[in-house]
Amino acid sequence: MAEYQENQLLDARGLLCPMPIVKAGKVMRGMEDGEILKIIATDRGSIVDFPAWCEDTGNELLEWHEGDDGLVFFIKKVEEED
Amino acid sequence: MIFKQFRYEPLNQASYLVGCPKAKEAFIIDPIAGLGDDFYILEAADLGLAIVGVFETHVHADYVSCARELAEMNGCPHYLHENAPTTYEYTPFKDGDVFTVGKVDMTCLFTPGHTPEHTSYLITDKSRAEEPWAVLTGDCLFVGDVGRPDLLVGDQALDVMDEGERARTQFATINDLLFTLPDHVEVYPNHYGGSLCGGVNMSGKNSSTIYYEKKYNLAMQKPDAAAFAQFVQDTAKPLPDDYEKIKSYNLGLVEKDELQGAGV
Amino acid sequence: MTPTEVRAAQQEGAAVLDLRTPHPFAAEHLEGALSVQFNRADLVDRVELVFPEDLPMIMHGEPEAIGKVAAKLLSDAGFNVLGHLEGGLKAWKAEGLPVVQLPTMDVDELKERMGEFTVVDARDPFEFKYGHVPGSGILSWTEAWYEADSVDDDPPIAVICGDEIRSVLVASILVRKGKKAELVTGGMVDWVERDYPIEKGMD
Repeated sequence: MAEYQENQLLDARGLLCPMPIVKAGKVMRGMEDGEILKIIATDRGSIVDFPAWCEDTGNELLEWHEGDDGLVFFIKKVEEED
Repeated sequence: MIFKQFRYEPLNQASYLVGCPKAKEAFIIDPIAGLGDDFYILEAADLGLAIVGVFETHVHADYVSCARELAEMNGCPHYLHENAPTTYEYTPFKDGDVFTVGKVDMTCLFTPGHTPEHTSYLITDKSRAEEPWAVLTGDCLFVGDVGRPDLLVGDQALDVMDEGERARTQFATINDLLFTLPDHVEVYPNHYGGSLCGGVNMSGKNSSTIYYEKKYNLAMQKPDAAAFAQFVQDTAKPLPDDYEKIKSYNLGLVEKDELQGAGV
Repeated sequence: MTPTEVRAAQQEGAAVLDLRTPHPFAAEHLEGALSVQFNRADLVDRVELVFPEDLPMIMHGEPEAIGKVAAKLLSDAGFNVLGHLEGGLKAWKAEGLPVVQLPTMDVDELKERMGEFTVVDARDPFEFKYGHVPGSGILSWTEAWYEADSVDDDPPIAVICGDEIRSVLVASILVRKGKKAELVTGGMVDWVERDYPIEKGMD
């Protein structure tokens, strides 16, 4: 499984659905186009929440897997063309 | 598996939460009053886990336990080895009994010596492997040291074994029951660093492995029980303050107000 | 607050927030209680998104310590917290006060019996758009408190979300308003895992 180098890490463990996405949104706003955000979440709903969020925001879900600490997501920021 | 170690620095004590996020249940092992019942209740709640069992490795002499209260507040059993000579009721288990939360098995390994009811808990995370992953060794085996055999209250019925017998039993227990576990098994003790429950060689590190302790634990390098007992005596730290009072409270012999702040 | 006091407050319009996880809640809870799982990290954020600030609320935690902590967190955040239930479910039942169950079904059962239910998705619009159970409608968890009255429960409602957190909340809101509702356990995560059909877009 490919391991990406993240520019920022969001520890969303213990947050309940849909707060991992809400927090990810806040963190992404402060990131540059092309940067990678790594999220660790324990809420199971994240499995469908993050793909949907990526389609909605245009950000790219690079990869996700179930790690020892929780669900790990690597998401690349893609600036929306207006 | 969710595995958490909580460190209470004033008494160099470690307690544990072992749970399964799918089953949403957890066990608490060796909870300490210094952190308080609310501490464990909130830690478990933050993880979305219900506390379904409170276990102790033994009846403690150096700190006030909140196991009884924690079990009552959660409506779950307070588990001790069937030998534990408390005045109050608890849910007894025997050597070899297995308790499960979701995919996690916790096996009771009777490891007497430090006390006559002392039990270690072997943790197996069946979602990863059938082999055990870690052992909670209480005050039997520490990182770099071993539990002291001289915390007696002076009542034969409660102490059961004298200091000499405890030391000899401890030596055999560690060699025959702990050091026969697979090398990779991680060792998580009830105390670390400056705690008075072990000798001067006790490490402040969170954990170790069976392999490493087998090879480098100084007390366990001694050739026989007599040499071991002598070494433990030679490297002992001062007795914990008020240990008789604290032990009496944890046994149920005295009420909390008689402690006057000891062991917290 | 004693069980009797809590019941009286409920009759005056106060809402009981049951802080446990979804399954124990579904198995048995105080009649009229809403399911809002506790944690310290984001309880306040979630309650802010769901309930009006002036709504009188009472906490029910098991054990009681959780109720106390939640009461403080929310009242510090400006919510109208009346207190927490003393003695929990045990004390409530000892007073002979009513408890109810929330019926549940897993995704396999939902798939089989889809025609018998009005399937309602408790997630946000962009999640619904990305993929939902065919024929389902949306009632976002943030809108549910305000729009529950207008939901038709004939046929009875089956509430689904990603896992169970938002669906159990919405189901409990619907039931409190007198609607017939059930919880779909395992949610869209299970539905997608089994490769069951997905509909995309807004209806």
